[in-house]
Amino acid sequence: MNEPFIARHYASRAERYVTSDVHRHGDDLDAIGALAAESSFGHVLDLGSGGGHVAYCLAPHVETVLACDITPNMLDAIAREAAQRSLPNVVTLCAPAENLPLGDASFDAIFCRFTTHHWENPRAGLCEARRVLVPGGLATFIDVTAPVSPMVDSWLQTLELLRDVSHVRDYSCAEWEKMLDDAGLSIIGKHAHKLRMEFASWVARTGAPPVRIEAIRSLQEAAPEIVRDTLVIEPDGSFTVDVHRYVVVRI
Amino acid sequence: MAQDIDPRLLSMLVCPVTKEALIYDRDAQELISKSARLAFPVRDGIPIMLPEEARTLTD
Repeated sequence: MNEPFIARHYASRAERYVTSDVHRHGDDLDAIGALAAESSFGHVLDLGSGGGHVAYCLAPHVETVLACDITPNMLDAIAREAAQRSLPNVVTLCAPAENLPLGDASFDAIFCRFTTHHWENPRAGLCEARRVLVPGGLATFIDVTAPVSPMVDSWLQTLELLRDVSHVRDYSCAEWEKMLDDAGLSIIGKHAHKLRMEFASWVARTGAPPVRIEAIRSLQEAAPEIVRDTLVIEPDGSFTVDVHRYVVVRI
Repeated sequence: MAQDIDPRLLSMLVCPVTKEALIYDRDAQELISKSARLAFPVRDGIPIMLPEEARTLTD
């Protein structure tokens, strides 16, 4: 086996993402379900499907959901869960977002939730998303976003990397908007919400070793006031981040 | 018996390297890209479309 770094990293953690409360609930997930319910999508793509929560949410409202992820074990977990939930229109594919083995204009809509921060090349991933989307098709990108303050931004990325060595970057809204525009995806909706990360389950999901958990706690305790206040760092290490949901259309 | 690729998925797939059509070898459970000279494995019905996992075609 010669799997990419991130696939090896997540191979033993698939089930934790199927059962994770952060991933299986949320207003953003409800918004995805509502959009699919009021539309008449045929084929849709769950890009970077992780534990498959977007796919399960979409499946009752569309013809086919393709759950695409770079980690085969995640896809095995999705296939099992979809069968258990009697969702036969969920199909699975192992591929990197940056190089999709899918034909041009194959999907009416694309949904991408909590995954772009893992992409090695987000610009390539967004260009691929545009390529496989039908002209005028909709895409939704949801992810944790970096604070405006460069200092808090650096602290957030550091905490994220210590907890998950496959973390690349939580992009700022300015970065997101530039990347989407450059990829030929026009923003028609932007929504923000807060997400509280409960410390114990946050570090348990990635299986961070004790030395790195200790480093995270040490950093949190040494953090300047602006970092503590912006990230709402609590005594047990729990904290709160901004999440943005961009709804875009292929130009 | 090996699980086949879902036909809906098969109709959407192209070679990730050349974006050209693939041939599904059910016996070998591989997706063949003649243009890239690569064979991508299919495991439990899931196409593994990672160039680093593909077998290079020699003949």
